[in-house]
Amino acid sequence: MQNNRKEHLYKILVIGDLGVGKTSIIKRYVHQTYSTNYRATIGVDFALKVLNWDSETVRLQLWDIAGQERFGNMTRVYYREAMGAFIVFDVTRPTTFEAVSKWKEDLDSKLTLSNGQSIATVLLANKCDQKRDFLTNNSLKMDQYCKENGFVGWFETSARENININEAANFLVKHIIASENDILKSVVPDTISPQLNSDKEMTCSYWLSLD
Amino acid sequence: MLGTKRHGIAEFLTRSLFSWKPKASHSAPGWKLFGKNPLQDNPLKNSRTIQQEYESRAGPATGPPPHPQPMRCKNLEFEPLSTTALILEDRPPNLPAKSEEESQRHRQEYSEMVAGAKRREMKEAQKKKLSHPYIYLWWQGVPPSVRGKVWSLAIGNELNITPELYEIFLSRAKEKWRSFSETSSVNENEECGVSLADRESSLDLIKLDISRTFPSLYIFQKGGPYHDILHSVLGAYTCYRPDVGYVQGMSFIAAVLILNLEEADAFIAFANLLNKPCQMAFFRVDHDLMLKYFAAFEVFFEENLPRLFQHFQNNSLTPDFYLIDWIFTLYSKSLPLDVACRVWDVFCRDGEEALFRTGLGILRLYQDVLLQMDFIHSAQFLSRLPENTPAHALFSCIANTQMISNNRRWNQVFSALMKDGLKETDKSSSSNSPALRS
Repeated sequence: MQNNRKEHLYKILVIGDLGVGKTSIIKRYVHQTYSTNYRATIGVDFALKVLNWDSETVRLQLWDIAGQERFGNMTRVYYREAMGAFIVFDVTRPTTFEAVSKWKEDLDSKLTLSNGQSIATVLLANKCDQKRDFLTNNSLKMDQYCKENGFVGWFETSARENININEAANFLVKHIIASENDILKSVVPDTISPQLNSDKEMTCSYWLSLD
Repeated sequence: MLGTKRHGIAEFLTRSLFSWKPKASHSAPGWKLFGKNPLQDNPLKNSRTIQQEYESRAGPATGPPPHPQPMRCKNLEFEPLSTTALILEDRPPNLPAKSEEESQRHRQEYSEMVAGAKRREMKEAQKKKLSHPYIYLWWQGVPPSVRGKVWSLAIGNELNITPELYEIFLSRAKEKWRSFSETSSVNENEECGVSLADRESSLDLIKLDISRTFPSLYIFQKGGPYHDILHSVLGAYTCYRPDVGYVQGMSFIAAVLILNLEEADAFIAFANLLNKPCQMAFFRVDHDLMLKYFAAFEVFFEENLPRLFQHFQNNSLTPDFYLIDWIFTLYSKSLPLDVACRVWDVFCRDGEEALFRTGLGILRLYQDVLLQMDFIHSAQFLSRLPENTPAHALFSCIANTQMISNNRRWNQVFSALMKDGLKETDKSSSSNSPALRS
């Protein structure tokens, strides 16, 4: 019984248009590798990452979801019970940025936390190593964009050059924990509060304890 | 020239490998009726002339009857030599003539008899198909040297696409690429009835996905020998079927065909393959229909692997987590390429049932590992199968998978589910569909 570290399990969605580098970001984050040889993701792919977070253990389930818009109806079932999300776009392709708000709306319409808030979502401007950045030079504008669209923050990332990937992930985890604490606080007073969200069995993360 | 080459092979193969196939082109009107009466013994009236007479008689029912009288006279002279189509004949002059309704009914009865006979012959042909020795050899894998030919013959060309037609759609696609890269923005005349946004995204997507198709082979990537061909085949398809467009997974299927066939033949096989009901359901992303396929799969899953089925149920691991990838790419992404080609061999022989049977074979092969895993690890495992999946072990697992459930075969299970589905949607169409559309 010495090792009773508190353990958190979080499901994180990685969404965004086709070919923006979702799989590359995940591979970089989880396996510290990069390759130009990734195959297109069809349906959904999974990766796991364990973090030591202060004195606790955080287990992340990363859900890498196929980017083609056509799959939207099909992949929506994958959103269930997620606690956080990355929405990724490719800084060299303006259309992928235009799609960001669609992805965000889609996410918010299908998923809310038990307190009605939307899940913590971080915007990733990927492929920032390729000097064809059309927009993120203007970081004030991006901050504004995030505020307006309900992102907790944004990062310029490069899976190839390993820029900001860990930072973005830590930032997201911090926000997930914070939102979870909010929920716990709001839930504690009225001891047994029924979960109002009908189609989600578990909106909160799972608290596990190891012996 | 391509056509003639294909024809030669086709004739050779239809004689040996495809003897079960009804030779539709030559004998459409002449299939054997009531086999005891050899057709050659009946020089005056073979089934073809009967058919012609029948057609000429059935024709006037819709249009104005041109010369009813002379025809009747002609018929009176004729003495039928067999009972075939006797029902169509008028009665001898000493008996009361048929009324219009009666002959109408007789025509209908005749059509039904003919259809019934045809069905029976098809059924027999199906049985023959299973007993033919080549069909068993097929299971061992078709030799790579003839694989492409065998596939394209088995897939067929219901759509009657010619190499010339392919060239037309290809030049249309090239036209689009050119105009797209020149203007790369605003208004374009809408050729294929697709909006600019769709066209842009389809073209964009193809480009992005080509380099991500079998990247480890280095032949489809930019500068690789098959890059342009893959681009062409997929581009031509989006012009041929703008309503379907490009959907992820297609690049893998087209690539496998290109590896085994000439460009135009690859396109013909590709378009016909995607036109099959199961593939159409998936590539049109018809979610309701896909769920029916998943449900049918689960029926056979439970039948074959009850323990694993229960384990997956307990973990809420539904088929969409792994079947989507498998079906959209016909296993070409998840299995080693040579093993995937053998799966395609069987798929060409047995149809869609083989795809789901293969899925169950994979689950059987890895059952012991999967039983030890929780949801996320199983899902991860199935979305990235071990790279060295051995062909012989997998195929013996597939062979051990019985596609029979309660005496029903795949098609019966599937169509029963379709019927249930129709009833359900009748009941609750108003409450269900808006949510699904959202």
